[in-house]
Amino acid sequence: MNSKKILLLFFIILIIFPPHSFAYEKDILIGVLSHRGDKATFKHWSATAEYLSNTLNKTFRIVPLDFNQVDEAIKKEKVDFLIVNSGIYVNMEVKYRISRLVTMNNLVNHHSLNVFGGVVFTRKDRKKINNLSDIKGKSFIAVDETSLGGFQMVWRKLNEHKINPYKDFSKIAFAGIHDNVVMAVLLGEYDVGTVRTNILEKMAEDGLIDLSDFKILSPVKHDTFPFLLSTRLYPEWPFSKLPHTSNQLAQQVAVALLNKSIPHPSNDKRFYSGWTVPLDYQEVHKLFQELKLAPYNKRTPFTLRDIIRKYWTWLLATLIFILSMAIMSSWVFKLNRQLKRSKVDLERQHDLVLNSVCDGIYGVDTEGHCTFMNKSMVNMTGWQPEDLIGKKQHEYLHHTHPDGTPHPSDECPVYHTYHDNITRFIEDDVFWKKNGSSFPVEYSSSSVRDSSGKTVGSVVVFRDISERKQAEEAARKYRADLTHMARINTLGEMASGIAHELNQPLTAIATNAFASIQMLESGSANTEKLIDILEKINHQAEHSGEIIRHLRQFIRKEQPERSLIDLNELIEDVLLMIKPDINRSDVKVVRKFDLHLKKVLAQPIQIDQVILNLCRNALDAMNDTPTEDRILTIATQSSGDNAVIVSIEDTGSGVKQDIREGLFDPFVTSKANGMGLGLSISMGIIDAHQGKLYLDSKPSMGAIFRFALPINQENNNK
Amino acid sequence: MSNAATVFIVDDDEEVRSALQLLMESVGLPSETFSSAQIFLEQFDLNRSGCIIVDVRMPGMSGLDLQAQLATEKLHPPIIIITGHGDVPMAVRAVQAGAIDFIEKPFNNQAMLDSVHRAIEKDAQQRGEVSRLLDIEAHFNELTPREKEVFQYVVEGKRNKVIAIDMGVSQSTVEAHRAKVMEKMAAATLSDLMRMALLLDLL
Repeated sequence: MNSKKILLLFFIILIIFPPHSFAYEKDILIGVLSHRGDKATFKHWSATAEYLSNTLNKTFRIVPLDFNQVDEAIKKEKVDFLIVNSGIYVNMEVKYRISRLVTMNNLVNHHSLNVFGGVVFTRKDRKKINNLSDIKGKSFIAVDETSLGGFQMVWRKLNEHKINPYKDFSKIAFAGIHDNVVMAVLLGEYDVGTVRTNILEKMAEDGLIDLSDFKILSPVKHDTFPFLLSTRLYPEWPFSKLPHTSNQLAQQVAVALLNKSIPHPSNDKRFYSGWTVPLDYQEVHKLFQELKLAPYNKRTPFTLRDIIRKYWTWLLATLIFILSMAIMSSWVFKLNRQLKRSKVDLERQHDLVLNSVCDGIYGVDTEGHCTFMNKSMVNMTGWQPEDLIGKKQHEYLHHTHPDGTPHPSDECPVYHTYHDNITRFIEDDVFWKKNGSSFPVEYSSSSVRDSSGKTVGSVVVFRDISERKQAEEAARKYRADLTHMARINTLGEMASGIAHELNQPLTAIATNAFASIQMLESGSANTEKLIDILEKINHQAEHSGEIIRHLRQFIRKEQPERSLIDLNELIEDVLLMIKPDINRSDVKVVRKFDLHLKKVLAQPIQIDQVILNLCRNALDAMNDTPTEDRILTIATQSSGDNAVIVSIEDTGSGVKQDIREGLFDPFVTSKANGMGLGLSISMGIIDAHQGKLYLDSKPSMGAIFRFALPINQENNNK
Repeated sequence: MSNAATVFIVDDDEEVRSALQLLMESVGLPSETFSSAQIFLEQFDLNRSGCIIVDVRMPGMSGLDLQAQLATEKLHPPIIIITGHGDVPMAVRAVQAGAIDFIEKPFNNQAMLDSVHRAIEKDAQQRGEVSRLLDIEAHFNELTPREKEVFQYVVEGKRNKVIAIDMGVSQSTVEAHRAKVMEKMAAATLSDLMRMALLLDLL
């Protein structure tokens, strides 16, 4: 121990205070696998370094390397030479192109050997274990997974016997130290063990075991090899140079070392006996190849760890990059899917909306070609999308006016829309169906612009208005029927008066005629007298005829045509009809006519009806008025240049406040026998003439109803 | 003013009025026209003979009102009602109130003339009856109170003897009064006297 300490101290001093002569020169470093600890390494190899330093006049130093440091030391050129076991050498040879200079001669049990092997053994008393084929299912112990002599050589052998040490044993363990393996088998803890050659012999020599207690499995006899052996022989540790080390230096070192095989002070006789020419390491390569170990298996923990250690920053970066890429792409994918789904949703919604509206909708491009159409359009027109899309819609839908005249496409509102961008509403037109018939439509045509604001066509939304038109016609007819019915009703109420009115001239005519005959028969008549009478008869007959004509006109169903009418004349006609009522009611009629009244465009019978209704109401209103106060005043007047006003004023009891509210509503009446239709129908008529009917306030007794009618300027100027 | 039978026409309608007048003229009947019932009442002399043609419906006083007014008089010319719109109740009322006829316009002119002639005849008859009644009344008024008393008893069917006892006179006195009554009343028989008593409302 003392000598070791001194040696170490010496080395430390040498490192810290190198001799002045070497101070400027770079030390030559020999990396040595420090498999038994740094102290042992220095102990074993410092003599060699010293020998080389002395021989070559350079400073050689030993650098202990543990298993993990070897790779990095080579890679970073921390050492110039390397002394490692055959396994590591083969790895480094493949990896860094290091090359062996010499192979160690191991001094073992007084034998100097440059090869070694593995031995498999069991206890001698294990009768059932006699060769390798017997060890399946048994427990097995070796030195170390990475130990060439302590495991891998036997593994190769087992492999050749189709035994997988990791699978075919009941248990496998690694003791770390050769002696422990031997002891574990001796104590029976494991059935079979393996160690490198010469261990058993050395232990026996040291008195630790008795070789006779053991049985060697698959023993191999070798002429030049003195130890128990179960495997091939493999070369011992090589002394190798790194690629950067100069060949000249390497050559000098090799020569020096080979010379060293001659006993030399630097040799540690207890450890090795010198160096030989380099052996072939092919068997080691083969072993690794067969067992698929590094360097022939990148996946060995060593290589992977190495890669991880070497490139961890890159790996981490790559991993992060891949991870973030994955996250990003999944995000993009998700986004894309969402987009796709929304697009599909939108399209579906678009279609759904388009196809669920009742109105027909179609698009037109700037060429007038139909671009799309919805389901309602198909239903309404009978045109299928394939009939219209891409075709000029005007020529299919819109070619002819309702009256049969052709509708040129340059007059088509749809075409105009995308030329001037003005939205158009057409209230009354027809579209043509596929079956050749047409139907009334109202439609709008609006221009469509793209995102840049450029007009790309127009969209037409249309509606079949057949039903509405029919309803309008029905409503118009209903109003006309109601109005007519009211006239008939009025006439019914007036019938006795009218009959009387007709009776008078008829009576007079009959009587005058009879009298004339009498006179002629009796010869008492003279011509002058008779002419006089006949003129009377003529006049009376004409008067009757007039009344009847008026009645017939009044009772007739209305004609929708309007004509220019003179309201003064119309009022006189009405007064003629209600003359019996006026007479019976003892009412004085006052006319206040504007003699320059302009004509109005109206339906005469309807206006007749209004005046008649208002006059009869006026007469009825004066029933309770003293006879001398009963005055019906009818006035006409111009209201500016564009309207005429007719006023009908009575001296009756007036319109009570509680009736005023719904005065013009149907079935509102203050009369015992009235239907309450007169004013509502009159209101309807005046409304239809764009006029206004209203009750005016009156300071004294009675009521004034007025109605205003617009004058058709154009017609009056004719 | 002569009292020749005249047709009085009351109608507010001038045409009808003049036509009727012409009709009357054509058969030689004198006629006078009035445009309303009021005017007729103001101007008409009840003693004049003939008939009245009146329209039911007129402003102011109607034909039926006029008829009612005339009915209060002892004697008036028969009334023919003409109407443009007669209904049965109105006709019944008019006839019950004494109208001789109810004619709807336009009427058959011959029927009208017949009706007019019938009315004039009736008027004449009415006028005859009325003048006889006036005569009887005049005769009755000529009787002394005693004679009126005897007249009363006689038409009540009492015998002379009973009358004499009731009056407290002799039977011959009663007979003398009775002869005087018969003579003054120009009655040939007792039944004549009874008829006169009926007209005089003594029974």
